[in-house]
Amino acid sequence: MTHDLLALLALLSPLVAAVVLFIIAPLRVRGAVSAALTIGATSVSLVASVLLAAARMFGATAPNVDLQLAWLPGGAQTLATVGVYVDPVAAPMMVVVALVALCVQVYSVGYLGHEPSRDRGRYFAYHALFAFSMLGLVMAPNLLQLFVCWELVGLASYLLIGYYWTKPSAGQAALKAFWVTKFADMGLMLGLMVLYVKTGGFDWNVPVGQALMTADAETIAGLFFLAVVGKSAQFPMHIWLPDAMEGPTPVSALLHAATMVAAGVYLIVRAYPIFMLAPTVLTVMVYLGAFTALFAAVVAVFQDDIKKVLAFSTCSQLGYMVAALGTGSMVSGYFHLTTHAFFKALLFLTAGSLIHAVHSNSLHDMGGLWAKMKPTGILLIIGSLALAGFPMTAGFFSKDLILEELLHAGHYLPLGAAILAAGLTAFYMTRVVMLSLFGAPSEAAEHAHESPAVMLAPMVLLAVLALAGGLLHGDFARMAGVEAAFHVTPVGVVATLVGFSGIGLGLWRFSPGRRTAIGTQWVSAPMRLLTWLTASKPVDVFFAGFYRQAMLRAAAGIAWFDRYIIDALINLSGWAVLRGAERFRELQTGQPTDYVYAVVGGLIVLTAMGVFTA
Amino acid sequence: MIPVNGEVLQLLLILGAGLFALGLYGVLTRKNTIGLLIGLELMANAVNLNLVAFGRYHGGTDGQVFTLFTIALTVAEVAVGLALVILLHRSRRSTDLDAAADLHG
Repeated sequence: MTHDLLALLALLSPLVAAVVLFIIAPLRVRGAVSAALTIGATSVSLVASVLLAAARMFGATAPNVDLQLAWLPGGAQTLATVGVYVDPVAAPMMVVVALVALCVQVYSVGYLGHEPSRDRGRYFAYHALFAFSMLGLVMAPNLLQLFVCWELVGLASYLLIGYYWTKPSAGQAALKAFWVTKFADMGLMLGLMVLYVKTGGFDWNVPVGQALMTADAETIAGLFFLAVVGKSAQFPMHIWLPDAMEGPTPVSALLHAATMVAAGVYLIVRAYPIFMLAPTVLTVMVYLGAFTALFAAVVAVFQDDIKKVLAFSTCSQLGYMVAALGTGSMVSGYFHLTTHAFFKALLFLTAGSLIHAVHSNSLHDMGGLWAKMKPTGILLIIGSLALAGFPMTAGFFSKDLILEELLHAGHYLPLGAAILAAGLTAFYMTRVVMLSLFGAPSEAAEHAHESPAVMLAPMVLLAVLALAGGLLHGDFARMAGVEAAFHVTPVGVVATLVGFSGIGLGLWRFSPGRRTAIGTQWVSAPMRLLTWLTASKPVDVFFAGFYRQAMLRAAAGIAWFDRYIIDALINLSGWAVLRGAERFRELQTGQPTDYVYAVVGGLIVLTAMGVFTA
Repeated sequence: MIPVNGEVLQLLLILGAGLFALGLYGVLTRKNTIGLLIGLELMANAVNLNLVAFGRYHGGTDGQVFTLFTIALTVAEVAVGLALVILLHRSRRSTDLDAAADLHG
């Protein structure tokens, strides 16, 4: 089967690149070689993914690719398999992952052009590892392989956030991201254990005849959702995502906006048969997702760091996806994942382009860049419009679909939060555009210059997708078996009007003439309090306190038990032997006569025994 | 030659047991190494006597042949024993057994 080969090619070419780069140091330390290998491998993956997806979408129905290799043989049946599995659900995600990865890698060639060669080599080796892990996650034939790859993308995330490892804040951010997601990942691991105990396998499709009890499904889905909350940065475990912006901007675009954080959403999509059996978890998802969408949008309004704005925006958009999946509509959540991947990657890359020009993340240091960098400016505006849900952009279709689903499911409170968040999204993106592109140029912006073509080309590609991605909505609907053509609905009109008013408010508030002071100074005292309350600071404090108080105390208690109980038992046995030996050594007098006595005594005893037993 | 019947055998065995007990007493009580060796010789000869007595009682030559072997072996044993005594005397300036209590725990 050519499709089997294509699927293997898509998965294994980044693996080969990663293994080669990790093992052969002389290749790795040459940035250009490493970049070429990684980009080449990702291109192969992209071509294979596009071919696989084309045969499964747009009305075509090729059979699923299902290649599995026994991994854990166990008695009569195989405990787990590894392999590649491509169905209409996995195929579009493969394209998204490979496409955004390729765009980001090409962009990185320009963005990190001034870095030392060996650092760039390391960077691209990590990228190859990430591409392999993420594709392995998407193409996993069962949830166990998905879990393994889930951890691998976490590792890649850790390595890439800590890319500037000489900066202490980057190291701390990497650790924080790792620990927070790792804590959440326990949910996935425990959920898999329960799933295995209950069904005897790791399949998301529970075999017919082994109906999962609702209580069990709730447990499994709830545990899985814990992992999703961590990975997809939902409240209250969103705290790692803003810090993760310490990594290079292209990394933020790929891992912390488009693909890795969406892995949580993808897990729900994959395990949807299980989630559908758990109505309580679905309801929790709707409310938590909507809350995160609103909360993160509020926080994003007050950020001065352009990457932090986008980071909280990502939290917010992931909240939309989670809420959409909670309504029982797989299509809307998955579709928004896809469109969001395009326009948020685009936004991060344009932000990277601005940062590259002014050498600062702060919106204070930008301003007036429109005159210097028109192409980047146009791309930023396109991305912002798509994120704000401007009509006919990709974000418009997917966001309206989500709002519709919320209305259909009768979740009016989350619906209100989502619409409000849509208005805030439009507002904060307008703020970013106005502050960075227009107004009086700051000192740093005086020397800004446009990014090279190697950075612009991937952005243009993503911009096209951010504009036209909405055309795919019919195909996503067909994937779920519903024939849904897009139609104008009252809720869509309301959301669009709210979005327009957000844009209008932003244009008015941050117009160059009005803007006397930029940044957080424009907010009043009550709003500052709100900012402080809603920014991740108190949550950070809570988690840090939880960690220091509860976990470290518990660890200290266990350490005490180990040292004074377990170790004491071991030491006691040693001490007893020593003391016993001390006493028994007295038996050895060294006097030859005593030994003769012993021999004779023994002889007498033996003789007596012989006599009396005979 | 005196024929060895049951009564004579009994007397001879009592004599052998007595010799053995005397030798054992010597081994256990003598502090002097040479005295100890003499005790050992007595015990060995008690065994020899028993061998010869049983040999005669059963009418074979086995007992006497074995006795010749044990006498030869005893000679070797005494030679080794005396050599040890000499070494002991050289290293400790004494043939006293208590001086050789190096295995004391």
